[in-house]
This record gives sequence, structure tokens and C-alpha cells, in this order.
Amino acid sequence: MKRKFEHPAPSAGELTGPKYWRSLDDLAGTPGFKAQLGREFPEGAAELDGVDRRHFMKIMAASFAFGAAGLAGCRRPERNILPFGKSVEGVIPGLPQYYATAMPVRKWAIPLLAETHQGRPTKLEGNPTYTPHGGAASMLAQASVLDLYDPDRSTAHTKGGAVLKADAVNALLASIGGNHAATQGAGLAFLADESSSPTRARLVAGLKTKFPRATWAEFEPVADEPPASAAQASFGVNVKPVYHFAKAKRIVSLDCDFLHSEAGSLYYARGFAQGRRVAKKGDPMNRLYVAESGLTLTGSMADHRLRIASSHMLALASKLAAVLVPATRDMLAPYASGLDVNQKWVDECAADLLAHRGESLIVAGAHLPAEVHAIAYGLNEILGGVGKTVDFVRVPASGASSISDLAAAIKAGSVKTLVILGGNPAYNAPADLDWPSLQKSVGEVIRLGYYADETSAVSPNVTHLAAAHYLESWGDARTADGTIVPVQPMIMPLFGGLTQNEVIARIAGETNADPYALVYAGISGRAGADAEKTMRRFLHDGLLAGSAYEKVAVKFSREGVEKLFRDPVKSPAFSKDNLEVRFVKDYKMDDGRCANNGWLQECPDPITKLSWDNVIQVSPKLGKELGIDPKGSLLQVARKEENEFIAGKENSHVFELTVGGRKIRGPVHIQPGLSNYTVIVALGYGRTVTGHVGKDAGFSAYPLRTSSAMHIATGAKLTDTGARMLLANTQEHWSMEGRDIVREANFEGANSYQENPAYVKTIGMEAHSPSIVGEAGEKMTPQQRATLIPRGNSLYVTPQFDGHHQWGMSIDLNTCIGCNACVVACQAENNIPIVGKEQVMRGREMHWIRLDRYYSSGTADGAAFGGEGNRELPEDPQISLQPMTCVHCELAPCETVCPVNATVHDDEGLNVMAYNRCIGTRYCANNCPYKVRRFNFFDWNQRSLDQLYMSQLAPFGTPELVKMVKNPEVTVRMRGVMEKCTYCVQRIQNGKIQHKVKMAQAGRPGDVMVPDGSIKPACAQTCPVDAIAFGNILDPNSAVSKAKAREQDYAVLGYLNTRPRTTYSGKLRNPNPKMPDYGTLPLSRVEYNRKNVPTGHGAGHEHTSEAPVAGGKKGGHE
Amino acid sequence: MSKLFPKSANGLPLQIVIYLVVLAGIATAGVTYYMTPKYTRVGYAPVQPVPFSHAKHVQEVGLDCRYCHSNVDKSGHSNVPTAQTCMNCHSVVKSTSPLLAPIRESYEKGTPVPWVWIHTTPDYAYFNHSIHVNRGVSCVECHGKVNEMDTVAHMQPLSMAFCIDCHRNPEARLREPKDVFNLDSKTLADQGRQKDAIDLVHNWKVKPPQSCSGCHR
Repeated sequence: MKRKFEHPAPSAGELTGPKYWRSLDDLAGTPGFKAQLGREFPEGAAELDGVDRRHFMKIMAASFAFGAAGLAGCRRPERNILPFGKSVEGVIPGLPQYYATAMPVRKWAIPLLAETHQGRPTKLEGNPTYTPHGGAASMLAQASVLDLYDPDRSTAHTKGGAVLKADAVNALLASIGGNHAATQGAGLAFLADESSSPTRARLVAGLKTKFPRATWAEFEPVADEPPASAAQASFGVNVKPVYHFAKAKRIVSLDCDFLHSEAGSLYYARGFAQGRRVAKKGDPMNRLYVAESGLTLTGSMADHRLRIASSHMLALASKLAAVLVPATRDMLAPYASGLDVNQKWVDECAADLLAHRGESLIVAGAHLPAEVHAIAYGLNEILGGVGKTVDFVRVPASGASSISDLAAAIKAGSVKTLVILGGNPAYNAPADLDWPSLQKSVGEVIRLGYYADETSAVSPNVTHLAAAHYLESWGDARTADGTIVPVQPMIMPLFGGLTQNEVIARIAGETNADPYALVYAGISGRAGADAEKTMRRFLHDGLLAGSAYEKVAVKFSREGVEKLFRDPVKSPAFSKDNLEVRFVKDYKMDDGRCANNGWLQECPDPITKLSWDNVIQVSPKLGKELGIDPKGSLLQVARKEENEFIAGKENSHVFELTVGGRKIRGPVHIQPGLSNYTVIVALGYGRTVTGHVGKDAGFSAYPLRTSSAMHIATGAKLTDTGARMLLANTQEHWSMEGRDIVREANFEGANSYQENPAYVKTIGMEAHSPSIVGEAGEKMTPQQRATLIPRGNSLYVTPQFDGHHQWGMSIDLNTCIGCNACVVACQAENNIPIVGKEQVMRGREMHWIRLDRYYSSGTADGAAFGGEGNRELPEDPQISLQPMTCVHCELAPCETVCPVNATVHDDEGLNVMAYNRCIGTRYCANNCPYKVRRFNFFDWNQRSLDQLYMSQLAPFGTPELVKMVKNPEVTVRMRGVMEKCTYCVQRIQNGKIQHKVKMAQAGRPGDVMVPDGSIKPACAQTCPVDAIAFGNILDPNSAVSKAKAREQDYAVLGYLNTRPRTTYSGKLRNPNPKMPDYGTLPLSRVEYNRKNVPTGHGAGHEHTSEAPVAGGKKGGHE
Repeated sequence: MSKLFPKSANGLPLQIVIYLVVLAGIATAGVTYYMTPKYTRVGYAPVQPVPFSHAKHVQEVGLDCRYCHSNVDKSGHSNVPTAQTCMNCHSVVKSTSPLLAPIRESYEKGTPVPWVWIHTTPDYAYFNHSIHVNRGVSCVECHGKVNEMDTVAHMQPLSMAFCIDCHRNPEARLREPKDVFNLDSKTLADQGRQKDAIDLVHNWKVKPPQSCSGCHR
């Protein structure tokens, strides 16, 4: 159980600080002087004229005084050690503690372990006790710790600008209950976000008993669970599906981004990867068919991808059903009409599903209408998937009204007091409701919010209550499968925030509104006599065993479903003047709740690779019709770029998007892989009342959404405004240029993995040259090769790798879904700063891991390589994803060029950075072939983003609150030093130390070898699909050694003889040979062959061209 | 052409060189004296809020280091005792001494006693106590004979050179595990048991890191 203890206040000495700053200010304290000092890099050269001789002397005098004062600073400053007054049980200063908690997300939750240092949470990891997630956490969960220390979060309860004390708030809440008790709650209305919390459900039930005439409405702007009406119609009971992707060999996704956007996506991604992973020849591999309008992470993993509009999904589902269940053909025929899809695609897909009865699964996106879900449920039953690949679990019925009902009640004037719990309706409610004016018309509005946001700012009469972060709250939640998990505070509320449960309990007049007591009451209600013990177990494990939703044996009712299919709608035909708009939950901002989170704002979108902005995504075809076909840039070598770039900045066209008379303006980004006339708009940006980070980021698409078209709107039109806008795109070039960066093969068929599991060895420069490790090296074991470094003659002295361990990593490209969780986990673990849009546009982002996203079309034919250079953008590319970070070369090019030995190898094979030695020449970054070194151009950690250009003499410092998120085990880097992935050296060293200490105390001091799996870098720890294996490569039985022993393991740019310690497992695709879009080779291989085999130009030569490559390999090695 | 320089200027280059050499020498000597850890740190013995005597508590009372620094063998950070630890005895012994007033106040109010920090490494160097004391490095190696000090003073420079000396040559500095917290004990080497020291290094696989990553993260 979490203990409460007060933080010691800083001493007087800590607060005053060094004296010499003050004397400098005294000397040069004029504002003009400060401004002069403040700008180190003049924006215009003219500014130099402003410094005359006299001023120069003054600056010099100031510097001199500074220097003189500095001598006194050489003496050590007096610092204090401040121990607790009374010992705190379990707290060992210097060792982190881990507590189980959970992040609630709409109707599900992610169970977490929070790492705390002296009561200060710094890092979140998935709770490994909850096995469906296997210790993984999503990108959003990783980033959520930053919100706790957001200086822009609301820090006080306010009413009309005046601060309300806690007592006044309690009295206010009690008075609401009191005032409405007589009328049984008439005139009282609640609007809350969705929640899975059993405690909240209990409190709401209590509230409804006490105030039967009060309105309880719930609203979420985005959907991540299938509509309940579909299950109700299909089975007659209130159930929801839980998919078991691990058991599915054939998967069809109808516009369903189950790897990221659906509730329970962590479990789904994990299961999908289990069915995808191929460790050795003979392992099975699943096959994924995706039909989607936009390009999603799920679509990027597809073996067969069909680009169709979201509005056509019902037609496609009907077509599929008609093939699988001929009896439904007549009923569904009207729905399937008007769909322009190759019938063979549907037929063969259906045949493949039928061939895998009981092992196939059809899933539909949460945003799709109930009809599509009903078809999917029915087909799953017919294919024998129910009970195997999909379970239906009973979920509590939601008795909540919708926001539209509430809006009607407000319009009718029947709401006197409105309590808004969480959410942000003024920003994201359907536009047709005109929520802000509705809210204004209510007499009394009480709003519980984490930020004083749009909803709190609607009118001055809103009473804003500061909400607590989940890391400072007592609460509970349920995971997607229903397991009850605790929300446990790591720290006392920093600003006295309240929880929803507390507010509801106070209004309902519960006798004990203490948030802990409320949770405890729920647990004791379940456990009975053993309450105390159960509660302790609950908090220790981070879950309540056996509390998952009950599985229900369902029976598909055709009659029930037929009710849904009463009035057939013909699939609309789309064109440039009748576009479909698909509103999607943003990968990073979610529905807008994460807008002030710098880690998420700066993390590039997995697909568009844009940071700090959202865009109107259009297909290349539509782009051309709109007249924004990019001309290409000077930088391009062989290809046309998908968008225009000016010096690395995406120069987008600003368009106006009109739907039904409603308009928004936003930059257009050409995105391959989209359905031709579907435009994709991500929600969550364009916040008007938010903090410093979220301000001015992107545009809001909510003004386009109406209650009737929440997810998909039709009849849209794009018009050019003529304006241009620069965007921070972190990946300008989309092509591998026919190189061998990501090596791919088909799972079966000619030239496939089955034919040659070591296919990666037939690709790339190494295939044509003698082995880089020479004959001697080829004979060695991998362990010998890693430590002895067989090589030819060189002046450079090879580092001695004589440590007990030799660290290495292997990344499985076949399971990596590109979710970016590793990027943000790394950022949280390693104190990586954000740099802001302006600096990202200059290519100065600091992420140690970047996720490269490549498109291959198979038609590309580089001008630089004797081809014509392609003139068209790929409309339907294959996507290859590759996480890239420092690969810890055994023969590292960066080390040989460092003039001060700041980057060297250690005895365990790590390429280390000594920050305190680095003088910032950046030679290493220049010489790094993987481009993974990051330079601190500014004092990111000392300056806010708008003060970066100030000089060393301008004031430094960040708020204490922001510093609290820093990991004390990692140096916070300063300006002018290089940094990069360290393999989480702090975890390695602490892991080794803890093991040695444990063994020494157990009387086995000679046992210094750390057990495999006990040290995991932050990226590997959080990876939802376990794509990253890390460990000691000297141990042939370690997970990483086994991963590296896979035949498809290869080194990126291995021909440079860098001998990277991070290697990659080749990607496999599993296309169906009978499908119309089957290719005998992955498209990146087709491009590789076109470029590398001179005779291989033209269609049909791909197969034959493979032979000389394989032959080349033989010649090279013998 | 008129003379630009008088004859006496002929010696000027030499004079400048001599002055520069002297100036550089003074600067070097000054930096060495005033700025290197050997001079800035060794001997530092600040006045503490409570005049705690290690000599009295170790030699007269017979306390082990770990009675107060209870987590030194578990954590990287060797904890300074909480007021509660002091009060274990001082609620009975010298329970009214005015010198112990800060301790009593801390115990009652929970406000920390502001002990002045003496031994420290730079923020970018991560020293870990537990690994050293568990593997044969005694407290005395870095802290000196604290058991004989009335006022704790900084005895070693704790510079990188100081660390590396030992990391390169651990045989010379290791003790038997039982002697680690006995500050009057001698290292194996000083007892003339060089062979035992070498065996210890071998059997315990002692391999102190000499790479950057050992301490800098």
C-alpha cells in the first residue's frame, strides 16, 4: 500500500542561490542590456550594428566581473543531506520503488507499474502480472507521467477568477446535493466521460436512486469499442467481443485499426504478433487482410490491403457475407451494390477464411455502423471462430443518456445545474449541438477538469474544480477483458485535485467521500470477510484475480440482425466534388486530451511522420486532381517526393474542407495508401484554450462533426486557399531507393522464406563480396566473433571486449507494428527533451529511437541508377517499418573521429558517450552511417521552447515541477554535447550491481553473470509485440542469442564492417497466391532487383533476377 | 627611414616570452592549488547542526557503521540516519541535552536535520556504495578513519584519478568481507597476503569497470 509522507521543504540556503548572479544583474540590470545579452544568435545580421564600442566595453566589463565572481564559485557550495524525521517503512534512499496502478482510458484501462524515486513517479511500465499485456504499455501510457508535472495543469479550484478553498468546494458540492434533494434531482444534470470504474458505476447508481429525476449523460468524441446495438441485435444480450488474435491464422479487418486504436489494442497487438512471429522454418504465420480507407498501423502490416472508402465497408462486408453464406445473398445484395471491388479479391479471401474454420477472425472498426459489426459477428460464428478466436463477454449495461438528449434537455430549459466531469465538450461535442452556447444558458455549471480548458473557459460563471491526475488518485478501472485493476496514487495530489468519484460521492451525500474508502468499499463488497487481505493483494498484484467479464455462450439471431437491415443504402460514388471525410482519433493526441503533452506532440505520427501538427490527408490521385502534385525537390535522388519540401520543411498547401456548409482550414498532406476520394482528418489538435505546448498545434476538425456523422462524413469538398504552411516532417524521403535496409521475403512460394530461410544473406552488398569477417571469422562461433573481432589489417586498435557480458540486441521487423511506444518510453527513461516545432523543422529532434517508414511500389526505377526516375507517387504501396537507434557497432565509425575520446567502447561492447568529455564537434554524428546521434543545439532542459535562442548570460532554469519527471539515474545533458542510445546503460549497471550484491549476500560472490531477461532497456520493456530482444550475446541460451541465431537475422549496412550489436530480423509477408494482388516478391525486393540486377529491368524479370543474386552470394563466400 | 623602435626594444620579444612563461606558470600553479580536488576537498570539515562525534559512537558505544547507515549495503546511496534512529537511544540517553535539540525537533515535527554534505561526486558520476562494501572495499578507503574523527573531515580527493587508481589495481585495496566495516582492519595486501588478494579477485570475478559507462550514464 502506498504511504503518505511529506516532502521536506528546501532550506533557506537552497532558495537563495549563488550570489554572483545578483551582482552581475546589478551591474548590467537595464532591460536593454538584458535583451542584448539575451539574443546570442542574431536573427538578422544587421543586429551587429547595434553593438557600439562603448556597449562592447560594458559587456566585457560585465564578463570580467562575472569571471572574478566566478573564482569564488570554485569553492564548493554548501549542500545539505536531509533525512526523514521518522523512518518510512520500505523507503531506501537511492533505490526506486514500484507500485501497481492503472491508466484509465475510456471504457478500458492499461495496468501499469509506476517507478517512484522518493515518492516521485518518473516512469511507467506495463504491469507484467496482467498477462494479456505482458508488461507492455502504450505510447500514451508512457507519456502520461509527463502530464502529472505539466506546469499548465489547473492548480486551483476557481469560480469567476477567485480561488476556492477545499472547504468551500466541499460545501458547494454538498449544497448541490442538498438543493436538489427536494425535487429528486429535477434540474440537475451530469455530463461525464466514459469510464470502466466499478466504483464510479456504484456511485452513479446511488446518485440515480437519490436523484431519480436527474440526468446522467456520458459522451466520448471517439469510439474505440463496437457499438453495443450490434451485439444486442445479433445475440439479444448485452455483450462485447474480446478477440484472441493469437489463435487466428486468417484475419480480416474491415477498417479496424486493432493494433492501435481499439480498446484492448495492447492485447490485440500482442496476440497478433504471436501469430506473426516466425522463429524458425516450419513455424506458422498468420495472414492479414485489411480493407481500409486511410493508412493505419494495422494496414501497414497487411498482407493484402484493399483501399476502399469507409462508407463502402458495409458493401464489402455484405459481399463477403454473400460469398461465405450464400443464403444471405438475396438479403444483402442491395447493400453490396455499387461497390467497385474486384470480385476475385472477395472470393479468394472468403475461400481462405473457409479453409481455416475455427482459426479465422473478422473484425470491424469501432466507428463503423452496427450493420457491419453484425455481419462480422455472424460470419465469425459461421467460420467457427466464436469461442476460439473471439469470445463474447457480458458487459454492464450503460444507462447513460447521450449528449444529444442532454442538449435537448438544456434547450428545453429543464437543466438548472450542470456538472461536467472530465471530457471537454466545448471543444469536442458535435458541432450541430453548439455546446458552448448551451452551456452558457445553464444557470450553474460545475466542471471538474485536469486543465482549465475550453469547457471551463466558456463563460466566467463556470466553477472549475481541479482534477487529480490518475497517479495522484485512488480509484479503480477495468481492462478491456473486464479485470478490475486499482488506480493507486504515487504521490499526494500536487495541487489538491479531486477525483470524479469524490465529486459524485459528495454531491450524492455519501457519508464517507474519501476516495480510498470508496474503492475499499467496492472491494470489500466483493470480498466479504477477507476485505483487508483482498485489498492488499489487489494493490500488490495490481489486479483482482478472476474479476474479468463473464464469458457468454451466445447464439446469433438472424431475426434480430434482419431488423438492422431494413432500408438498403446504395454505396455512394465519390469524386473530387463529393469526398468522404473520415475523422480519426489521433495516434498521439487521442481525442485532444493529450494536446499539452510535449512528448506526444513531438513524437512523429507513425504514418505521416509529422510532429506538432495534424493535416488533411489526401490520396496522391486526389492531390493531383487538386493541383498540388509535388514537383519533387533537388534533394531527391531517384524519386518524386510525396510532398514538397523546402530545406527539410514540408511546404504544404492550406485548403478549406467543407462538409454540409461547415468549414475548417488545414494543411494538406499527400498520403499514399489512401482510398482515392477519402480524406483523413485527425482529431485532437487546434486546441484554443490549452497550455504552452498545445497552443497553436494543428487545427481542430471538430467543427465539421455533427451528431449524425461522427466518424464518417460524405459530400465534402476541398478548396485551395492559396496559402502555404510549413510542417515539421521528420522523414522527407519515403523510399529505400532499392537498397537493402529492410530485407523482406514472402513466407511461402518462389524465392520465399520456406525455400531459403537465410534469404537476408542473398540481399545486399554482403551477398556479392567476401565475408567481412574473413575465412577465420566465418569459422568462429557468434560468441567468439563478438569478442575477438576478426578483421584485416588496420591502424585502428580494436577495443578489448573482455567484460563478463557482451550486450546485444535483435529487433524483429516481422512483428514490429510501428506503434512508437518505444520512442516515448526511451524519452521518459533517458530524460530526452523536446525541442519544439521550429527546431524539428531544422532536423534537431532528440529522440534516440526513430521509426523509419518506407513505401515500396515495385515500379520505382531510379534515374540515378540508369532508370527513368518515377513520375508517379505510389498509390498503393507496401509499407516497411524499421526502428532505428544506435546499433552499438563493434567497429564504430563515430569513435575514430572523436578528437577528445568522448565516445569510446566499454569492455562489454557498449558504444558509450561521456557527456562531460564531449566538446560538441559533431564529427561523430557526421560519421555515423545510421544517423542516430543527437546533438544538444540548445539548453533544452534549461530553457522553455520560446527562450532557446537566449545566450548563456540570460537567466536559466525550469520550474521545479518540470524537473520532477527526470530520471535521477540518467544525466540531464547540457547544451553542446552529443547524445544517443546507450542501451539504457543505467539499467545495465544497476542490474549488474543488484545481482552482484544479491549474490555476495547469498554467499556466492563469484556468480556475477546476470540472469537473462533481468535487464531490459526501456524500449524492449514496453514493446507490446516483444519485437526487441536484449541481453548477453556470450550466453548462447539467452533470448538475444537465440534471436540472432535466426537465419533471417542481418545487420543493417553490414557491408560497412561496422559489426553492429543491434541486428534485425528480416520482414516476412504472407500473401495468398490466389489473390489478384499477389506478388511473388515483396515490392521492396522487386525494387531491389530492378536496381541491382542490370538485366532485371521490366516486368516479369523479378523471379529470374533472384538467381544471379543467390549465385553472387555463393561466389562471395567461397 | 626613421627609427620606429629604440634599440632597447631588441630585448622585447625575449621579455615577452619570459613574462608569458612566468604568467602561465603562476596560472597553472594557481589552478592546481585552488581548483583541483586534492586542495578543494581534502580537509573540508564543515560545522554540522549537531556536533555528532563518530569517534565516541564507534569507539565508546561500539556501534557498527550500518546501525545508522543502514542501507549502505543495499543502495547506491548511503543513507544518513533519520532522527528516529538517533532517538532510539537518545530518547533515554542525554534526552534533554541542548545539543540534541535539532534531533528532537526533527523527530517531533518531521522536518529534516540539515546535515552538511561532505563527501560527494559530481552529478554525472554515479557512485554506488552497495557494490563496493559487498565486494571487499571498506568504508575507510574513501572516507578515512571516520571512527577516530570527532568532526568528519574529507580525507581523500575522490577525484576520477583516485577512483581509477583502485579500479585498475583492486588487489591492493580489497579486504576480507568480515573486515569491510572494521575501519581499523588492514587490506589483504597490507597484511602481506598478496596471494589471497589475487585469489579473491579471481574467485569473486572482481573486475572494476575502467570504461566510461562504469560511472557515467
